Amino acid sequence: MNITEKSKNIIDNCRFCWMCRHVCPIGNATGLERNTARARAMGASLVVRNATELKEIAENIYECTLCGACTNNCMTGFDPKVFIQELKTEIVLNGVAPTYIMDLLEKYTAMGNVFGKTACACLDDLYNTDSETALFVGQDALYKSPESVKNAVALLNKAGVSVSLDKNQDSGAALWFLTGKTQETQNAAKACAEMLNQYKTVIVYDPVDLKLMLHEYKEWGIEITAKVVGFNEYLLALIENGKLAVKKTANEYTLQDNYAYARELDDSETGRKLIEKVGVNKEMLLIGKEANLAGQLIMAEYMPDVIVQVAKDRWQNAINMDCKTMVTENPAEYVALKATAPDGYRVISVEEMLLENM
Amino acid sequence: MNEFLFTQILTELEDAVGRENCSVKEIDKVTHSADFFWLSRMWVDRGVRMPEADFIVAPKDAQETSKVLKIANYYKIPVTTWGGGAGSQGGALPVCGGIILDTKRMNKIYEVNTESMYIECGTGAIYKHIEWAANEKGYATMHYPSSLTCSTVGGFLAHRGIGVVSNKYGKIDDMVLQMEVVLPNGDIINTSATPKHAAGPDLNQIFIGSEGTLGIITKAQIRIYEQPEVRRFRGFLFKDMTSAFKASKEVLQKFKPSVMRLYDDAETASLIKKIVGVAKPGAFMNIAYEGVKELVDVEEKILLETFAKYGAEDLGSEYGEKWWNEKITFFYPGHMMDIPQMFGTMDTIAPYDKIEKIYWAMKNAIETKYPYAKFIAHFSHWYEWGCMMYDRFIIDGEHVPQDPVEAMRLHNEIWTLGIRTALENGGVVNDHHGVGIKLGRMMKEQYGPAMQVFEGIKKFLDPNGIMNPFKLGL
Repeated sequence: MNITEKSKNIIDNCRFCWMCRHVCPIGNATGLERNTARARAMGASLVVRNATELKEIAENIYECTLCGACTNNCMTGFDPKVFIQELKTEIVLNGVAPTYIMDLLEKYTAMGNVFGKTACACLDDLYNTDSETALFVGQDALYKSPESVKNAVALLNKAGVSVSLDKNQDSGAALWFLTGKTQETQNAAKACAEMLNQYKTVIVYDPVDLKLMLHEYKEWGIEITAKVVGFNEYLLALIENGKLAVKKTANEYTLQDNYAYARELDDSETGRKLIEKVGVNKEMLLIGKEANLAGQLIMAEYMPDVIVQVAKDRWQNAINMDCKTMVTENPAEYVALKATAPDGYRVISVEEMLLENM
Repeated sequence: MNEFLFTQILTELEDAVGRENCSVKEIDKVTHSADFFWLSRMWVDRGVRMPEADFIVAPKDAQETSKVLKIANYYKIPVTTWGGGAGSQGGALPVCGGIILDTKRMNKIYEVNTESMYIECGTGAIYKHIEWAANEKGYATMHYPSSLTCSTVGGFLAHRGIGVVSNKYGKIDDMVLQMEVVLPNGDIINTSATPKHAAGPDLNQIFIGSEGTLGIITKAQIRIYEQPEVRRFRGFLFKDMTSAFKASKEVLQKFKPSVMRLYDDAETASLIKKIVGVAKPGAFMNIAYEGVKELVDVEEKILLETFAKYGAEDLGSEYGEKWWNEKITFFYPGHMMDIPQMFGTMDTIAPYDKIEKIYWAMKNAIETKYPYAKFIAHFSHWYEWGCMMYDRFIIDGEHVPQDPVEAMRLHNEIWTLGIRTALENGGVVNDHHGVGIKLGRMMKEQYGPAMQVFEGIKKFLDPNGIMNPFKLGL
């Protein structure tokens, strides 16, 4: 198996360690022993030692969300995501990916996205390339939550910001998730960077895309010359500069920290500051870097029941602390939480929260 | 087992727990084939597959567990219960194949009862999750072992686990009110509604520590406690362990600190120096005391006066707080011993008049016969009458045979020597790690004719011997 020494070292250190079990959203949802960093590492260690075959562990590798809760929990600093992503590349290149993963890749080849969808016609009026500021919404929002795109654009327009919306909303995030660092992933990333570099400023709506652009693009030597800024950060600046007028209320809101913001980009504060601008911040258990993932749209394509349970588990945290309104920072969690909201509870996106307090 | 019979049993198990909760996939078999037991880890490290179960089933409650046990009894196939798999004694290893019954679907938290101060939960709940549930209501479970985040409620009950604040709040066997248990024949029983009674022997204590050999605990009521108003720490350095034992025993006759951890010279000079930063010769001791502030003030006065009498150097609160913050860090990879080293924690308990003698006897026995072995210890769970020694042997990789069979032979020889020495000097098999397959042979040496009590119960409850065979010496 062609994986790096770094990955082998992580595998050998994680293979007998269960310390992060309690934070895995998938393991907690399924109760399956295999849904642990330990099990994935142990399986991989047996492949490295020729005691089992790569195809035997492939399915389990795709049962990880890459949310990094395990990485954040590790007191020693081991990052299971590293070997998981390398294994995905090996799995795909060796032709042993599960059928449902191959189906998603075929959809991507045919339609340009793993959901096999065409973008909602309701967005047709929004596409333009006139402004020097682009809004990059990403494929999750484009194909699975078009209302989020409309709301994001509407909110920016209310602040007097006109944005360009390109038809290419593929950062490479889906290929990265499914195949790791393959040539195809990097080609998608390069194409995205070239498109973004036509603009002076790019507002990135989905923190998962933002993290890819700021971390992996850099690692792969893909340069973005445009100024890249996260959606939350951009909104906060608009409010603080007086361009976006919102009113402070007594409404209670609870932030669903997105893992990419909180753990990968080290920003648990901007979302909370946005809440404080319009209401009162009410916390639940597992916040900031310890946030519990609440949804993943690609995995919802091949393990929908588990993702539903993941969202329900997160709702339970909200229910336990009587947090009635959850505010999401990314479309995957928005979609999953919306589909599972218990009676008397609701989920809104950051832009919806601001729009309802203008 | 032929394919026809295998498929017949599989379909019956699928009927019992649902097809999606019954697996014969290789990945599931492999992940349930090695636990924290050094021997299983070593075999995996050598690229040797451990014995695997034929079926992995995950019932959602006692009723489904009952169905599985009835099937297993009919076909006379072994059933090994798996919670978190983080035990160090091989208790969860399916050494005879058959069924692994994974309890983690039984993870429901039914109730946080602040009136009677307990949480009722399925025993597949991860302990940290019930701690979170208690925290959300402003309470705590006060059970904080190093495996808090990875082990289940049932796992701790199965082998009589313990946490770092045990001195004040007790072991897991002190923290249970009522339990639901599925007997090997499939009958579902409940133990007494209260843990203190005069209605005969304590059913709880028959099943706690039985390691899945007498039945499967499926639900439990676990005590919760008020969060302490204050929790204070104090580090001390004793010139030797003898004075530390005397000082500690005297303190325990007056009040119960929550944490008491005494490290021998070797561990003070290695682990404590590395993690906590104490770089002085002697025996380091960390004490925590907690509760209502006024009471804690009095306890602090008693502690300082008593320890000063025995010549302890007061190191202040900084080291203790650091230790508390890092108490789980010790057990992450890179901080803990790991393969290629061979190591084991013997976890011995004895009364005060014997514990130090046992320490020296074990240290001498192991380091004399195996001069390349290091023997280090700390003393971490204390009672009014004695204390527990967390004693470890460590052998660096160059002295560990590569051949897994030879490595197993050396490992078992050292364990036999260590535990036998403890028994000969008045100790018992262990305090809180349990027996598993690792120490089953030593149970008969400890109990002698008393072992027939356990064997009789086993024979009556599990006449077909299907429940976790070769564990606990049964």
